[in-house]
Amino acid sequence: MSAAPTLVAPGRATTQDRPRKPANVTRKALWLVVVAVVVAAFWGVDISWGALWDMPGKLWHYLGLMFLPPAWSKLPDALSATMLSVAMAWFGTALGVVISFPLSLLATRGLAPVAVRWPLRAVFALLRAVPEVVIAVLMLSVTGLTAFTGALAIAIGSVGTLGKWGYEAFEAVDGGATEAATAAGASRAQVMRWGVWPNAAPEVLAFWLYRFEISVRASAILGLIGAGGIGKMLIDNIQFRVWDVVGILMIVVVVVTMLIDQISGTVRHRIITGRWEVPVVTALRRRSARAARLEASPSILEDDSRSGTVG
Amino acid sequence: MSAVAAPGASAARLPGAGARPSRPRRWPARVVVLAVLVAITAWSWVAVDVDLAVIAHNFSNAQNTLVQLFQPDYSFFGETLQPLLETIQMAVIGTAVGCAVSLPLSFLASRATNPNGPLLGFVRTVMNVVRSIPDLLYASIFVTVVGTGALSGVLSLFLFNLGIMVKLISEALDGVDRGGQEAALASGATWLQADRAAMLPEVAPQYVSQTIYVLELNIRASTVIGLVGAGGLGMLIDRVRTFYQYHYLSLVILEILVLVLLLELLSSAVRKRLVR
Amino acid sequence: MSGEQFEGAGLRTRTGAGIRFEHVNVTYPNGYQGLRDVSLTIEPGEMVAVVGLSGAGKSTLVRTINGLVPITSGEITVGDVSDGGPADGAAAGATYRLSALRGAAQRRLRSEVGMVFQSFNLARRTTVLNNVLVGRLHHTPTWRSLLGAWRADDVELAMQALERVEIVQKAYSNASELSGGQQQRVAIARTLAQQPRVILADEPVASLDPPTSHVVMRDLQRINADLGITVVVNLHFLDLARRYGQRMIGLRAGEVVYDGPAADADESTLEEIYGRSLTAEDVLDAPPAVLE
Repeated sequence: MSAAPTLVAPGRATTQDRPRKPANVTRKALWLVVVAVVVAAFWGVDISWGALWDMPGKLWHYLGLMFLPPAWSKLPDALSATMLSVAMAWFGTALGVVISFPLSLLATRGLAPVAVRWPLRAVFALLRAVPEVVIAVLMLSVTGLTAFTGALAIAIGSVGTLGKWGYEAFEAVDGGATEAATAAGASRAQVMRWGVWPNAAPEVLAFWLYRFEISVRASAILGLIGAGGIGKMLIDNIQFRVWDVVGILMIVVVVVTMLIDQISGTVRHRIITGRWEVPVVTALRRRSARAARLEASPSILEDDSRSGTVG
Repeated sequence: MSAVAAPGASAARLPGAGARPSRPRRWPARVVVLAVLVAITAWSWVAVDVDLAVIAHNFSNAQNTLVQLFQPDYSFFGETLQPLLETIQMAVIGTAVGCAVSLPLSFLASRATNPNGPLLGFVRTVMNVVRSIPDLLYASIFVTVVGTGALSGVLSLFLFNLGIMVKLISEALDGVDRGGQEAALASGATWLQADRAAMLPEVAPQYVSQTIYVLELNIRASTVIGLVGAGGLGMLIDRVRTFYQYHYLSLVILEILVLVLLLELLSSAVRKRLVR
Repeated sequence: MSGEQFEGAGLRTRTGAGIRFEHVNVTYPNGYQGLRDVSLTIEPGEMVAVVGLSGAGKSTLVRTINGLVPITSGEITVGDVSDGGPADGAAAGATYRLSALRGAAQRRLRSEVGMVFQSFNLARRTTVLNNVLVGRLHHTPTWRSLLGAWRADDVELAMQALERVEIVQKAYSNASELSGGQQQRVAIARTLAQQPRVILADEPVASLDPPTSHVVMRDLQRINADLGITVVVNLHFLDLARRYGQRMIGLRAGEVVYDGPAADADESTLEEIYGRSLTAEDVLDAPPAVLE
């Protein structure tokens, strides 16, 4: 029996020392802290968890009220309210771009002195820390809340994010081109225009669009606290429990948000890579590319969906 | 010198120089893009009804308000503690539950880990819908359905997290090297086992880092979802706002600022260590 | 000594399985033909080197054996391939017919067939030990594998597998901290942990430098000799194939153009396989003396 093959090479097991399993004390301590914080939060929070029991039933009930069927007749109103929200987002973002662009230049290392740079960066950080809704609440107290002040709140919020992204993009530009322009005797403004901007432009433009996507969501939220648009219409109907109108409004919010994300995402992709990549078309193209790859390296990962080994 | 610089001296071109390329006509496209952008901006200008005069007028009337806003009343601090704690509790619970539930969902939502096409499509679509609804909207609906308070807040934060986490983690899974998974499948493991043994370790650091990021987002969100009645500091903001207690309001906002900045410091420190 | 110590713990390997190809064709979805009418029999315990140009069907041939690439027509049998059918009591394990193998049965076959890949295919952000334990997944209940609660027996087996490829000291290191040669040895340990009857190696040394290539090839050779596991390895380098294979199978455009003892293959047969005269790129050509 002892002649039967085993995995152990004869005489080798005793000469090799197996390592001891590492203890990982810090990791365990960290886990303990995390678990303690979570348990404390659950334990201390003022929630009667029993209410969760009839939650699914209730949710079902309200979903039924909202979507079976939604009030299609309100679709035109919903769409025009949405247009106002989108306008708010666009105007706010555009204003934010106009304000933040020069500021982010002044916050870029190599373009402005420290005394200008750091205060500006602090302002950006401060603006990013305050949620847009809070900015809107402040504006509401001072000037009253309209679509225009909503757009202003978005603009102020945008300055925080766009300012930061801007100077980061400018600083990430490879020093070579800047150096070449400086060496050729260019002024600081000329260096900016011909050394930095051509390299940073695609990224910065993409950021602007991305910020617009964020602003669309923000403008819907601002509506909820009174700045007009789709959010205003939503909160009114929720408060008066007109659920089928809430249903259609939710559909519009979801569809419009997804649509704007798709369009903006496609344009951003075009700006960064220089190629158009339209969602559905690309998926089809990718499928045929996958078949071609199969030939080069046959792999389980590509063919399992066909042979049916679903785990 | 003259051969290079003389303007208009077309005859003086260097011998052997080929035909010069004509300048590419990029400007028509640019003009069209610019025109579209200007048109959209003009339309939004009209739509939001820009009226600087009203702002200026209101602003001059609001001097008293402004003075109060710049003089926070620190004696109010005691009363803000309970809502402040509730804000943090809601954020922690929402993050914990949301991130825990999002882990299996992320594996269902990634092409790399879920071979079942229809299920993949279903999970992705649902998650896209969940993600496109803003947190404050969830909150206002839950407040009407289950009532005012922290439960509505936790529920809306949970859904908000789910959308973000599933997107981030499933995208991370899409980008992971799938060699280990292939080896596991080739040794007779099921997809579930292969994903657990070979794919989970590859995204684990990103999962932790995104969880911290989501906690940061949650603290931010939970300060404001109270505005529609879902608990935390937001409810306090709403209360002092309706009673025009602006020196209280400014204290609350100051607290939010400090909380968010502290958390940002903490999270960037931890995440820097993780990436290393 | 140590052999006796672990006896009875279910840790002994099974004897090698035979493999038979009968008129096997593989056509990929895009119409590309990977294998054309391949018929051959590999005896249990043989060490076979498969050679050919890239695109000749080497990878396809190896990957049909565990069903990673489905066959279009024909039949592959893994297990008992002796002509009289399984003799009484002689069958060391199950016999599989791949043309109709799906789902759980296919996973059982795969658990008996280990595979070594060109790019090692380790989960890089977890420990070496966890990677080797992947070879035990088929025998581990789902709940255990989800929790990472491995059985003590399986951990022992994985440790033994690591000892066999002499890398047990790294058991708790992350796979990403290892060199390429070390990673490939971990991958071999992972197949050993399966207690396989066949090991398939798909270009196992293509990403390694010459000295390391010899170490890995010798590991495979020793596993074949000591444990009686059937080894099918496809190689780009002819000198490695001649040196380590008992038998050589040459493929060209999906067809078998040579099948015989590796030692008998001379320049002309190799030129027949490659369809051109040999170049320096076809041999690894490292002096093996440095390694001893």
